[in-house]
Amino acid sequence: MNQETKKGTLHPLSLLAEEAYKVFSDMGFEIAVGPEMESEWYNFDVLNVPKDHPARDMQDTFWIKEKKDYVLRTHTTSVTARAIEQAGKEGRVPCAFVSIGKVFRNEATDATHEMQFYQIDGAMVGEDISIADMKGVLTHFYKKMLGEETVIEFRPSFFPFTEPSIEVFAKFKGKWLELGGSGMLHPNVLRNLGLDPAKVQGFAFGHGFDRIAMVRWGIPDVRFLYQGDLRLNQF
Amino acid sequence: MLISYNWLKSYIPEALDADKLTDIFNYHLCEMESLEKLPDGDTVFDIKVLPNRAHDLLSHQGVARELASLLNVKFVDPISKYKIPESKPTKLEIKIGVDKCRRYVGRIVRSVKVGPSPEWVVKHLESVGQRSINNMVDAANIVMFDCGQPTHVFDLNKMNNAIVVREAKEGESLTTLDNKEVRLKSSNMVIASPSPLPGEGRGEVLAIAGIKGGKIAEVDNNTKDIILEVANFDPTSVRKTAQAVNIVTDAKKRFENDLSPELCSYAMLEFSALIMEMCPEAVFEDMVDVYPQKQEVKKLSFSTGKISKILGLNVSVEEIRDILKRYNFEFVENSGKFTITVPSMRLDLVIEEDMAEEVGRILGYDKVKVKISKINFQPKQNETYAKILWARNKLLNDGYSEVMNSSFRNTGEVSVLASASDKNFLRTNLSDGLKESLKLNQTNMPLLGLSEIKIFEIGTVFKKSGEEMHVAYADKKEIKEMKLDEFGREGNSSLLSEEGVGGGDSKFKLWSLFPFIARDIAVWVPEEVESSKVYKVIKENAGDMVIRGPELFDEFKKGNQISYAFRLVFQSFDRTLTDQEVNDIMTKITNKIKENIGWQVR
Repeated sequence: MNQETKKGTLHPLSLLAEEAYKVFSDMGFEIAVGPEMESEWYNFDVLNVPKDHPARDMQDTFWIKEKKDYVLRTHTTSVTARAIEQAGKEGRVPCAFVSIGKVFRNEATDATHEMQFYQIDGAMVGEDISIADMKGVLTHFYKKMLGEETVIEFRPSFFPFTEPSIEVFAKFKGKWLELGGSGMLHPNVLRNLGLDPAKVQGFAFGHGFDRIAMVRWGIPDVRFLYQGDLRLNQF
Repeated sequence: MLISYNWLKSYIPEALDADKLTDIFNYHLCEMESLEKLPDGDTVFDIKVLPNRAHDLLSHQGVARELASLLNVKFVDPISKYKIPESKPTKLEIKIGVDKCRRYVGRIVRSVKVGPSPEWVVKHLESVGQRSINNMVDAANIVMFDCGQPTHVFDLNKMNNAIVVREAKEGESLTTLDNKEVRLKSSNMVIASPSPLPGEGRGEVLAIAGIKGGKIAEVDNNTKDIILEVANFDPTSVRKTAQAVNIVTDAKKRFENDLSPELCSYAMLEFSALIMEMCPEAVFEDMVDVYPQKQEVKKLSFSTGKISKILGLNVSVEEIRDILKRYNFEFVENSGKFTITVPSMRLDLVIEEDMAEEVGRILGYDKVKVKISKINFQPKQNETYAKILWARNKLLNDGYSEVMNSSFRNTGEVSVLASASDKNFLRTNLSDGLKESLKLNQTNMPLLGLSEIKIFEIGTVFKKSGEEMHVAYADKKEIKEMKLDEFGREGNSSLLSEEGVGGGDSKFKLWSLFPFIARDIAVWVPEEVESSKVYKVIKENAGDMVIRGPELFDEFKKGNQISYAFRLVFQSFDRTLTDQEVNDIMTKITNKIKENIGWQVR
């Protein structure tokens, strides 16, 4: 049979990532990629996570047996942190980065929890980048991801790496959904990345990426995403 | 943290109705996880106190003060209603031998009567899911749920009138109040009787500091004289000890979040007043207050300009002044620059940004308008991502479909120290996962409507030397895997696929978890008959278990006849189909086809 090769199908997370990257690229963000096996320094210390913080416990974080003081990254914030640090060294501040990647948490799996999942992380740093910018960027992003009628709102929260800290919610089909954490980069984080908090400030966010896919397409179980099953590639 | 509305109301009588507090919590303080109306008319909130406010909000008073300020209503200070006991000189001795105990306040109370608690105490405790035990233990619990300070009661007659706070000796042990035998390590902080002098005292451990009391000096129905303990311990030490001995208590939760040692004074007052209410005949001795690490009074300066700049919202001096007044912060202000005296309980307020959060959440982040700043930044192309995209598009165009498999395996070169699953190793290649995926999808070929499975994965693998980004692709003949850098070096396709990505709003179709059955049927018909006519007959008679098809997969001519071959896939969403029932359907289709003159099933 001499027929043209039928094009393969795309994994929904890749499809969504291409869309998300496009949205952020159009807003002037640079794509950042970083290691999945990350040092304690970039995963925790740089981000102002206290030395004795429970998140560092073995019960929550995968520590690497063969490489001392290394973990499987628990968020892609480590990637944006590296990117901001590098940009600072190269004199490329103001800057804006976005990163989508696999992250790991040591927890039992069920329909809404996986040991591995994807996160989208972003940050914008400049002289007067504020929560208003964060609202602008995230509103635009979620309208593109979930539809123009999507509304987002900010509620108080706490994370060691941001101050103020904010939890982002989106109203999708009449229901409020928790999307993830965000806030203004803590001055200690800026300092750890070699920037002067008296001169620059910025926002950062780290949101569940699988969750956006699950909500948008109605995928009921996060585990479907990592089973190598082509029945998933419906879009 | 469970909060009783009626309990709150005793401090803030003008508070909004319970139902209306949900939004106040969610938008200005912390998440309200649930709200439950109790049969007795009370309402109980379950609020998720944020870690930075666990110093002052794991208590009814703390939440009441916060709400009073948020809602700008009166807070009724309870101190005036407490009867302060007159006290007598004491022989109680307290010695702090570790720097991880910042303060220890003790008081001997004699001639107490252990018995049931007054009804209001029982109600208060029940509203937050606690069981009343006896008036002494209940008083200690009320103090904790009311002001946030954990306390403890010892039976004085089961110990000396002396207390030492020290590190445990290696191998020392204790039986807890709930009869758990705990072996202690030297890093654990304990409350103990003093070391034995010849002929007196035994130096036993009375309690694990800040976590759990011991059986040895337990208050029982015959208890006459007691020691009240109100102390402050280092949060990290408490957390680590609790983890080591595997005991979680409400006291531990509060100490590990760091409490202000200043709170001890108030808590001892409330504790004493409660005991006095329950046992009016009790004799109070002077309290002994050992406070080696006095909490410093801190000042915090911030400017209206900086707050506005962080929030992206123009906040006026007047608005900030109003907030500070409502929150009873002592402050001075000079042309928009404020300096506050940080209240001792507000350990979360350290830097200017903390005040930005305070102002932001109190005003509400809905006040912040959207904005997207144009920044002077030239994004560069990310090389790794460009390679991923190129590889992905190349493989898609070559007919390969993308899969993602787990990074965890049973074997490998790199492993994790502890895992909630049985897979402790990280994958060293993509091929092993791809092989399994190939098998799974080959089984499902009829379901997928494919005659061949071609799949690929792009992902990270972990080797002794470090992690690598790989590309692997597989079909029925072979599996190939290589580093991303080595895949199709010749390529330089555009970063983002031009045709754009589909997606849209289509809805995910869940697959059935039951096995499917695939059947083919080929029909000879006169050459002028179109395939759609045959399709229609099959479709109309195939029933509602058809998950895929009829799909025309083959046709050929012979003489003046033409053969059409269709495939049907049957599957149920709620049971396993039997061969027999599918056979019956196929027979029905065959019979229907035969009704057409010149049609013949092959």
